[in-house]
Amino acid sequence: MADPEDRNTGRAGQFADLSALLTGFDRIQLLGTGMVGSYLHAIDAALPDGVLDELLDAFGHLPPGAGPGAGPGAGPGPGPGAGAGAGDGPGAAADAEAREALEAAVSSAVLDDPKLGPVARNLIVVWYCGTWTALPDGWREAYGTSPLDTDRVLSAEAYQAGLQWVAAGAHPAGALQQGYGAWSAEPEAPKGART
Amino acid sequence: MTGHETYDVVVVGAGVNGALIAKQLTRARLRVLLLEAGPDTASAFDGYTRHLDHFYSASGKGPESAWPQAPNAPQPDTADVRTGDGYFVQAGPHKYASSYSRLLGGSTLHWLGVSLRMLPEDFELRSRYGVGRDWPLGYADLEPYYRSAEWEIGVSADAADQKHLGIEFPDGYDYPMRRVPPSYSDQVLAQAVDGMQVTLADQTATIKIRSYPAARNSIPRDGYSPAGAVDERLEAQVLGQRCAGNTACTPICPIQARYHAGKTLAQAERRYLTVIAQAVASKILVDPVSGVVQGIEYQRYEDPDSPRHTVHVASGRAYVLAAHAVENAKLMLASGLGGSNGSNGSNGLVGKGLMDHPALYAWGLAPVPVGAYRGPLSTSGIEDLRGGAFRAAHAAFRFDLGNDGWRPATGAPDTTVADAVRKHGLFGTSLRDHLAATLSRQVRFSVAVEQLRSNANTVTIDPRYLDPLGNPRPVISYHIDDYTLAGMAAATGVYRQVFQRAGIKDCTGPNESTWFPEAAYDGTSFHYHGMGHFGGTHVMGSSKEDSVVDTDQRSWEHRNLYLVGSGSFPTMGTSNPTLTMAALSLRTAEHMLVELTK
Repeated sequence: MADPEDRNTGRAGQFADLSALLTGFDRIQLLGTGMVGSYLHAIDAALPDGVLDELLDAFGHLPPGAGPGAGPGAGPGPGPGAGAGAGDGPGAAADAEAREALEAAVSSAVLDDPKLGPVARNLIVVWYCGTWTALPDGWREAYGTSPLDTDRVLSAEAYQAGLQWVAAGAHPAGALQQGYGAWSAEPEAPKGART
Repeated sequence: MTGHETYDVVVVGAGVNGALIAKQLTRARLRVLLLEAGPDTASAFDGYTRHLDHFYSASGKGPESAWPQAPNAPQPDTADVRTGDGYFVQAGPHKYASSYSRLLGGSTLHWLGVSLRMLPEDFELRSRYGVGRDWPLGYADLEPYYRSAEWEIGVSADAADQKHLGIEFPDGYDYPMRRVPPSYSDQVLAQAVDGMQVTLADQTATIKIRSYPAARNSIPRDGYSPAGAVDERLEAQVLGQRCAGNTACTPICPIQARYHAGKTLAQAERRYLTVIAQAVASKILVDPVSGVVQGIEYQRYEDPDSPRHTVHVASGRAYVLAAHAVENAKLMLASGLGGSNGSNGSNGLVGKGLMDHPALYAWGLAPVPVGAYRGPLSTSGIEDLRGGAFRAAHAAFRFDLGNDGWRPATGAPDTTVADAVRKHGLFGTSLRDHLAATLSRQVRFSVAVEQLRSNANTVTIDPRYLDPLGNPRPVISYHIDDYTLAGMAAATGVYRQVFQRAGIKDCTGPNESTWFPEAAYDGTSFHYHGMGHFGGTHVMGSSKEDSVVDTDQRSWEHRNLYLVGSGSFPTMGTSNPTLTMAALSLRTAEHMLVELTK
């Protein structure tokens, strides 16, 4: 049986693949934040038992042709994470196509699902902002609650690791200073997924 | 009551004014006791770093987010403005939206660092424009002290940029450090709008994006050594000797490149300085016949979380209240001094005339990426509308050009992300592309509007409202008058013209912002925020009939008592008050040295 903490094959790896697809960042970038393990723990704790596993399971069983096994992010090794291929090389177009198919599949199987959709959107916000947002009242009534399902910054590290700063071409306010005068130079091109 | 200590001078409040006065007096070998109501948690690097962690983990990133309340020295919090149940008792009709902090270092621990001088005309509003009051001092009287203050707190600017609207410098003078480089966003905006003309009350003005003087360390000029982080260890002091663009001047500069009062305290002569933190001044003891102050009663607490305390009296030859415009007034009133029902012959002016710079946010999307969320929180402003003949008709105002996107106005970037995910259903590559295209184009102005003194705007006390130590909480009555509201209307017109000229898509709107209090004028509802620029509560004047203190900030009624800070200001103009109060405090210290060494 696969080690659940293994970033490539275990639960953590599956979480990283799903996160890459939902955030538009590469798997390798997400692993590089060092936050995968602590987010898994935090999200597990903020949800009723088993809900995160349901989400990962739904991702693992996307329809054939669109499942993680077909996407560019699958498989072990530091290869191009989910969708990382946007760029040079003959595989780029195929990768982008595969990613689009994956995104369409995850949209209908996960984001449109009344139970899993709000959890997936929370997961996106965790990655971008480092914050957990209490689930809607209706969701809690239908699927249960956890005492840790409250609005909060997950940790000082989570705040600093927020992907929103990377997407903005900036740095977290109060951390990762860019150096004297860097602000007077033209910003680097915005760090979009396709740019 | 236990203990009785005697000093040359007892100072209440370890903020910028108390620190500057303590430094000057101790260096002249006067024994100073400095009482600080709040804790001393930021004057060593490790403690300061804990405040930084507090900021990282805080849900809101507002000005107080790094500086939690000390229950025995409570403080206003901007989050309380909406609920109305914070430290301030808001008596209305408008909400007073500013805050300050009570701990060693005071509110300079989370100020932005804007260090503008007041304009010469700001001191003569009544004579020139028939509104407000004249100061009993002029720009020329204060000019040498402005220079001293700029070198004491460490201001970065080029004098050549700052000569406008009558501001002058003596030949050969320059600021201790070169100007902080303007942001890329400033440069893009300047290219679009420099030289454009706007009309205010039939007067035409030409506007220009201008670098402002900032108390942030930059490249030093000859003879100046920037002061970095405060700590006993040399390796910590090396930090912060130059701004590194942390984009967090408010609420906490991680490297202490932005000035705070702890730096000045660290430069005081330690052998002559006694600092007691967690010591709340509760009463000024006055000889009922002569009016001379005989002591300051204070409550010392060991455990910040328990109201248990002991009561002491500190005595000196002179006393300085440097506790903040609101706290100074509150302490006077709690001692039965200077209020409407105060001591014999009091003119009742203590606590009257509270001012702020009620301010508007304007935000939009630039046509090209401007590099938002980088650099000091702001580096430039539009200063041209701070003065002019239109002031006979309505308030002047000043634009601060943010480098931190829509953060203070809407809670971005977090709210930008949440909207994209939850309202627009974006995820994956579309989400990332959308955020990359949006966040870097966010532009935000904060427009601070002048407010004149009115005796109807007051700080009072009421025995029904007490804090855990039994000291009164400030009761604030506050009204924004038509003079200021007409200034807001004019400022709104100007920001729209600037946005249009620069091709910035206006996204300003109360539904898109975090909550702010409202004031209605001429069919428009303005949503304003406070600038933390309290003033006017112990007004300075040329006679004891119409003021609380004289030009030395010395109480007319109690000749060994000084009330210092922006509470002394007869008018606020449009400059952030810190540099002006620093200049006044240095002038007061000079006067006290003469008095006490006679």
